[in-house]
Amino acid sequence: MWPFAAGTNSLRWVPSLSPFVAASAAIAARAVPVAAGLEIIVGVAAMLRRRVFCRWVCPTGSCLEGANWLGCRLKRNPGRWPSMGRWIVLLTLGGTCLGYPFLLWLDPLALLAGVFTTFGLAAVFALTILWPGAWCGRICPLGAFQDLLHAGFAPVRSLFVAKRDGNAEAGLSRRVVLGAAVGAGSAGILCFAQRNDTPAIRPPNARTGPHFLGLCTRCGNCARVCPTGVIEHDVGGHGPASLLTPVLSFRNGYCREDCTRCTEVCPSGAIRLLRVQDKAHVRIGLPRVDEEICLLSDDRECSECARWCPYGAIRYVFSETLYCLTVQIDPQKCNGCGACEAACPTKPRKAIVVLPA
Amino acid sequence: MNGPMNRRDCLKVLGLSGLATGLGSSRSQAQNVGESSGFQSSVLASHKVQSGWANATLVNGKVIQPQRELTILDSTDVLVVGGGPAGVVAAIAAQRAGANVTLVERYGHLGGLWTGGLVLLVLGHIVQGGKQVCQGIGEEIMGRLDKLDGAIIDRRSGVNPTVDAEAVKYVMVEMIEEAGVKTFLHCWGVDAIVNDNAVQGVVFESKSGRQAILAKIVIDATGDGDVFASAGAEFEHRSHNVGLVYRIGNLDRIDKDKAGDSPAPKRIGAHTPVPGVNWVNLRGPEVDGLDVATLTRMEMSHRKYIWSHIQKTRQTPGYEQVYLMETAPQLGVRITRVLQGLSTVSLDDLKAGTKFPDVVGVGGSESGNHGPWQIPYGALVPTKVENVLAAGRCISAEIRMADLVRLIPNCFVTGHAAGAAAAVAVQDGRRPRDVDVAKVQKILTEQGAYLG
Ligand SMILES: Cc1cc2nc3c(=O)[nH]c(=O)nc-3n(C[C@H](O)[C@H](O)[C@H](O)COP(=O)(O)OP(=O)(O)OC[C@H]3O[C@@H](n4cnc5c(N)ncnc54)[C@H](O)[C@@H]3O)c2cc1C
Repeated sequence: MWPFAAGTNSLRWVPSLSPFVAASAAIAARAVPVAAGLEIIVGVAAMLRRRVFCRWVCPTGSCLEGANWLGCRLKRNPGRWPSMGRWIVLLTLGGTCLGYPFLLWLDPLALLAGVFTTFGLAAVFALTILWPGAWCGRICPLGAFQDLLHAGFAPVRSLFVAKRDGNAEAGLSRRVVLGAAVGAGSAGILCFAQRNDTPAIRPPNARTGPHFLGLCTRCGNCARVCPTGVIEHDVGGHGPASLLTPVLSFRNGYCREDCTRCTEVCPSGAIRLLRVQDKAHVRIGLPRVDEEICLLSDDRECSECARWCPYGAIRYVFSETLYCLTVQIDPQKCNGCGACEAACPTKPRKAIVVLPA
Repeated sequence: MNGPMNRRDCLKVLGLSGLATGLGSSRSQAQNVGESSGFQSSVLASHKVQSGWANATLVNGKVIQPQRELTILDSTDVLVVGGGPAGVVAAIAAQRAGANVTLVERYGHLGGLWTGGLVLLVLGHIVQGGKQVCQGIGEEIMGRLDKLDGAIIDRRSGVNPTVDAEAVKYVMVEMIEEAGVKTFLHCWGVDAIVNDNAVQGVVFESKSGRQAILAKIVIDATGDGDVFASAGAEFEHRSHNVGLVYRIGNLDRIDKDKAGDSPAPKRIGAHTPVPGVNWVNLRGPEVDGLDVATLTRMEMSHRKYIWSHIQKTRQTPGYEQVYLMETAPQLGVRITRVLQGLSTVSLDDLKAGTKFPDVVGVGGSESGNHGPWQIPYGALVPTKVENVLAAGRCISAEIRMADLVRLIPNCFVTGHAAGAAAAVAVQDGRRPRDVDVAKVQKILTEQGAYLG
C-alpha cells in the first residue's frame, strides 16, 4: 500500500517527491540532480495550481486526516498560529547555501520516511489533534514551499490561466532575502564552529565534508535499510552541523561487500548511487592498528582481521626485529569496510580501528 | 647368524672377540643369550646381523633402495596414524564403536602439539553466546582433567581452559588403555600401502626397523597429511607460521615494589595450572613446515630469540628471578598439507550458518566470537584415494578457515567423526565415501557428540 509499499526503494521515493528537498539538494550540490524528475513534476504542478500536492498526493497529509477529524470532533480551535512554514523554507534554503540545511528534516515526506518516523510523525499528529490544520496550513515547509513557487510563478501563470488569485504575495522578495540571509548567516557560523571537528566515517560513496552536510536531509533512510546496522545517527560526536547525519560505526558489524542499499535510498544524493561491482574501489575509511594492544604483538593465536577482510587486504608479516607478526594493510585493496574492526577481539578498545580516509 | 656376513661385520666380530681374549676374560662368552647377567644389561642376541637387511646403494650417483619384504607388525580394522588430539579421540571413538584399532605415534607420548608443542590453551570449544559445541570424547578428556589435581584451570562456561601437558599425556594413556586401543609409540609412518587406489595399511620406521601395519581403514591424524599424501590423495601444500612454545617460571616471585609503575614486559605469556609458571606462545615467520632445512633453521633461530628475550625480561626491575624452564620438545608447525576433500569447510558457510545433511560435528571459535559452523563428513574424505580419512588440522578447509579448523577442540571433533565413520565403514564393508552417514551420526550422538 502506497506509501508503505514493500521494498527499500519506496523509502527513497517518498522524500524524493518533495520539491523542497530537491531545491535544497540542488543548492547544496550546486547542480540539479539527474533523478529529480518527480520533484520537478510536483514543483511545476505547484506553480500551476495552488498546493495540488497537498490536496491530492501528500501521504503525510492523508495520514493527518484522521487527526484533523478527531480534533474537530473534540471542538478544538485551529488556534492562531503564525505562518511559519515560509520562514522554515527560507531559513533552510539559506542555510543550505552555506552548507547546513537547518530544518530540512521538517519536510513532511522526510518526516514520514525519516528518523523521526515514530517520534516526529506522532508529534505532528498530536499537534494536529490539538490545533487542527496548524501543521498543514502554518508549519509544513513543503506546503509553504509550494506557496512560494505558486506566488513566484504568478506573473508567468497569468499568461495562461485566468487571473484568480488577486495580487501575489506582497513583500515576498523582502522576506526571501531576509529569511535566506538569516539562514545563510547562521549556517556560516555553524560551519565555522564545525571546522575543527573530527571528521566522520560516512556511508559508501557519500559526498564529502560540507557538501555532505548540505545535502543530507537527515531522513534516516540509509540507517534503516542497512542490513548490518553500522549506520548510526550522529548524536553530537562530530560537531553541531553533523547532528543526526549518518555516521558509520564498526563495533558490531561492517559495511558489506555485497550491499549498496543505502546508496539506493538516499533521496537527496548525499549518498550517491553505487553499483555493487564498484564497491571495492570506493573508499569509506582506512584502518589503523594499535600495535601496543594488538594480540599479535603479544604472540597470541589471533587471525581475526585477516580472516574477515572481504578484500584480502590484510596480511601478517613477520618482523625479524620485533620477532613477532605485524598487521599489514594493503591500501590498494582495502576500502575501509570495517570488517577487521568488527572482528577484532580486543577489549575494551579494538586494536584495529577504521578512521576517516 | 642370518644371512651372509660382510667384511665390516667380520672385522667387528674379530675385533671384539680379540678384545675379549686380550682381556683374558671368558666369562662373558659363557653367558647364554637371554640369560640375566645379574648386571643392568643382558645380551639379547650376539654376533647378530640385521635380518632381511638390504642396504641402499649408490648406483651412478643415485641412491637406490632395493626391493625387500617387510615384517607385518600388526593387522587391524582401523589404523590411526598420529597420536595428537585428533588421533587419540579417533582411536577411542572407533574402538568404542566396535572396531579393532591400532594407534601409532612417532614420539614417545600422546597429545601432539597440545602436549609436545606445549600449546596449553584450549581455544575454540565455544561459539557466540557461550554455548559449548565441543562435546563427546573431547569433552570427556577435559572432564577427566577436571578430576586430577593441578591438571586444568579456567574450566568455567564461556572461558578457554588451560591444561598441564603432563596431565594430558597421562589422561590420554589412561583412556587409550581403557578403550583397548593397541598402541605403538616411537613409530614414524613413512609410506602408505596402496593397491588399486585403495590404502591397505602403512609402513613405519622405528628402532625395530621398517615394518608394516595392515588395516581396512586408515585415519590420517598426522596433522601434516603424511599418509594421504603418500597414498596419492590430492592436497594443498601451504605455508604458515612456525614457532616454538616455551614455559617460564618464577612469575610468582616478581617483586611488585621494584617493578613499580613501569609497564610489564611484553610476551610474558599466560598462566598454567602450575603456580608461577606461564606458557609463552610464539607465532614465528610464515614458512614451509615440511622442509627439513627450514624446520632446523626455525628451531635454532627461535631458541636464540627465546634465550635473549628471557635475558631481557630478567633485566626488567622486579623480574630478575624469571627463568626459562623449557622449550617445547615439538616445533610449532601449524599448517602444512591440507586435504582436498569431497567437501571443504568454508568461511562463506560459517557466515551463512550452512547446515549440511552429512554434518559430523560443529566447530567453535577462539573466543566464542562467531556462530557455530557445521563440519560436513565430506571434508574428511579424499576426492581420489579410498580407505583413508583425514582428521585434525589437515582436513579439507579453505585457507581462511584453517586457523579455526586447527584449534584443539575442533581437532577433537573431526577426530571423533573420523573414528566413528571408520568403524561404520569396517562394519558395513564399505569405502569411506559410501558410508551411511546416518549411522555415523547415530554413533556420534550415542557417544555424546554435538551435531547442532
Ligand atoms: C605454536 C602453536 C600455538 C597454538 N596455539 C593454540 C591455542 O592456543 N589453542 C588451540 O586450541 N590450538 C592452538 N594451536 C593449534 C593446535 O595445537 C593444533 O592444531 C592441534 O594440536 C592439532 O591437532 P592434530 O591432532 O590435528 O595434530 P597434532 O597435534 O600435530 O598431532 C599430530 C600427531 O601425529 C604425530 N605424527 C605426525 N606425523 C607422523 C607420522 N608420520 N607418523 C606417526 N606419527 C606422526 C605427531 O607426532 C603428533 O603427535 C597452536 C598450534 C601451534 C603450533
